[in-house]
Amino acid sequence: MTDTQQRLQGIFRDIFDDDSIVLRDDMTAADVHNWDSLNHIDLIVAVEREFKIKFTTADVTSLKNVGQLLALVDKKRTPKP
Amino acid sequence: MSFTEPLFLLYLAICVVVNRLCPKGLRPAFLLVASYVFYCTWSPAAAGLLAVLTLLTFGAGLVAEHARVQENTSIAWLAPAAAILLTGYLMAFKVALLTPSHGIAGLVMPLGISYYSFKLISYVLDVHWVKMPAEKGLVNFAAYVAFFPQIVAGPIQRPANFFEQLPPQPESVVNPLLRIAWGFVKKLLIADNLAPAVNAIYGHVTSLHGAPLWAGFYLFPLQLYADFSGLTDIAIGSGQLLGITGPENFNRPFTASSISDFWRRWHMSLTTWLGDYVFVPMRMASRRAGQWGLSFSIAVNMIAIGLWHGLTGSYLFFGLINAGYLIVDTLTNKRRTTFFRKNPQWDKAGSWFGWLLTFHLILIAEVFFRSQHVSDAVWLLGHLWSGLSGSLAVLQSLLVGNEMRSLVIGLVGYLMLELGERYRPDQWLRRIYAVAPRWVRWSYYSAGVTFGIFGLALLFVHTAGKRAAFLYEIF
Repeated sequence: MTDTQQRLQGIFRDIFDDDSIVLRDDMTAADVHNWDSLNHIDLIVAVEREFKIKFTTADVTSLKNVGQLLALVDKKRTPKP
Repeated sequence: MSFTEPLFLLYLAICVVVNRLCPKGLRPAFLLVASYVFYCTWSPAAAGLLAVLTLLTFGAGLVAEHARVQENTSIAWLAPAAAILLTGYLMAFKVALLTPSHGIAGLVMPLGISYYSFKLISYVLDVHWVKMPAEKGLVNFAAYVAFFPQIVAGPIQRPANFFEQLPPQPESVVNPLLRIAWGFVKKLLIADNLAPAVNAIYGHVTSLHGAPLWAGFYLFPLQLYADFSGLTDIAIGSGQLLGITGPENFNRPFTASSISDFWRRWHMSLTTWLGDYVFVPMRMASRRAGQWGLSFSIAVNMIAIGLWHGLTGSYLFFGLINAGYLIVDTLTNKRRTTFFRKNPQWDKAGSWFGWLLTFHLILIAEVFFRSQHVSDAVWLLGHLWSGLSGSLAVLQSLLVGNEMRSLVIGLVGYLMLELGERYRPDQWLRRIYAVAPRWVRWSYYSAGVTFGIFGLALLFVHTAGKRAAFLYEIF
C-alpha cells in the first residue's frame, strides 16, 4: 500500500466512522456505508486538508471510484514542470 | 396519447417490432421519428420548440468541447450560460402557469418540460465538466432528449448512460412486459382506486375534522407511490423493449429508516440529478463554511426539489419542511451512530422507531405536496385530533356508492404491492423456471401470457372512461 493509499484510508475510516474500511481501487460509494452526496464533500475537504491540494467541482463530479480519487490526488501532488 | 390508453400499447408494440426489424445503425433514427410522432400527438407546436432547444443545446455542446480542446477561454462561459438559459426557460413556463393565460404565446407547459430540460442541462454541464465528450451525432442526441418512454415523466436518464446503449439492442421481452404489466396494476388497480377517496377528502379539507383527515393523511402517499412508481415501471419496461434501460426511480421508499435514507429511495433519478448539479456545486462553493455551508446547500437543494414540481406555496413548504428534516438528520447522524454503537441493546428499537418516525414525517410533508393551498395543509394537520366523535360517519358519507369498494380494492392492492416488493415472488418463479423441465416452462409461459393478457384486458375494459391522468404527468 502506497503512502497516499494509507493516508487516504485513514481519512475514509475517520469520515465514515468505520475502522474496518480497506480501500480498493474499484470501490465506489455503494460499497461504503453512509457514503452519499451528503458527506462526499466532507471527504473531499478532509483529502484537501491532508494533502494540501485543491479540487474543483468538475474534479469532484467526474470521480467514479476510489482508484480515480487516488490517481487525482497523486496528479495534484505532483509539481507541474 | 397517454400511457394508460390502449392506443399507446398498440403504438409501443408497432415500434418494438419495427425497431427490431430495422438495421442496427438506423435504430436511433427510428427511435427519434417514433418519439416525435408520439410527442406530436400531444402538441406539434411543443414538438417544434423541443426540436429547436435540442438543436441549440447540441450546438452548445460542440462549442463547449471545442473551447476546451483549443483552450479558448473566451467562449468557455457558453456551457454554463446555456445551463442558466435552459433553467430560465423551464422557470418561465412554471411562472406562466400561474398567470391567467397559463402559458406563453398560447403554449401551456409543454409535455415533459421538467424532464427534458434537466436532460439538456445535464448534457451541457457534463461536456463542460469533461465527464463525457460532446455527442457528434445529431440524431443520437435528439433521440436521447425526446425518447418517448421517458418524455412523459422520466426517469431522467444521464446522457452518457443513454449513448453507451446505442445502437439499441433489445434482448428479452418477457421481463420488460412483466414490468409494464405490474406498472398498469399499480396504476389502474391500486392508485386509481385510492384516488376517489383522496380526491373527496382533499376536495373538502377545510370543512372536515378527525377521521376523514386521518384517512387523507395516510392514503395520499400510498396513492402517489403506486401512481408514480407504476408510471416509472411502464416507462422503464417500454424503454427496455426498445433496447434502452433507464435508471431506477424507487427502492421501497416507505421502508426508509431515516429522512436521508428516504431521499435515497424516492424519485432517485431526480434526487441524484439535483445532488450532482445543485447540491455538490453549492457544497463545493461553501465547503469552508462548515456546518452552515452544509445546511445552506441542503436547504437550496430541497427547495429546488419542491419548486421543480411547481412555483406554488405548498411545493415551497414541501421543500422547506424536507430541508429542515434533512439538516437535523445530517447534523445528528454521527451522534446517533455512536449512541447505537455503544448501546447495541437499543439498536432494534431504534430501527423501528426510526422507521415509524420517518414514515410520519414524510406523510406530514406530503400533505403540503397534495394540498392546493398552504392553508389547506395547515387545516388538515391542525384538525386531525379535533371533532373526532362522529367524524367516522362523515368519512362514510364522503365515500358513497362505489368509492368505499374502490378504497378497499386499493388498500388490498397496496398491501399486495408492499408484500410483492418485499418478497419478490417473480424472482422465486424465475429460479424455479430456470431449472424446470421444458413442459413445465411452456405451461408456465402459456398460463402467464394468457393470465396477463386477459387480466390487463379486463383491467382496461373495467376502467374505460374513468382512467385518471398520472400524477407526475403534469410536471
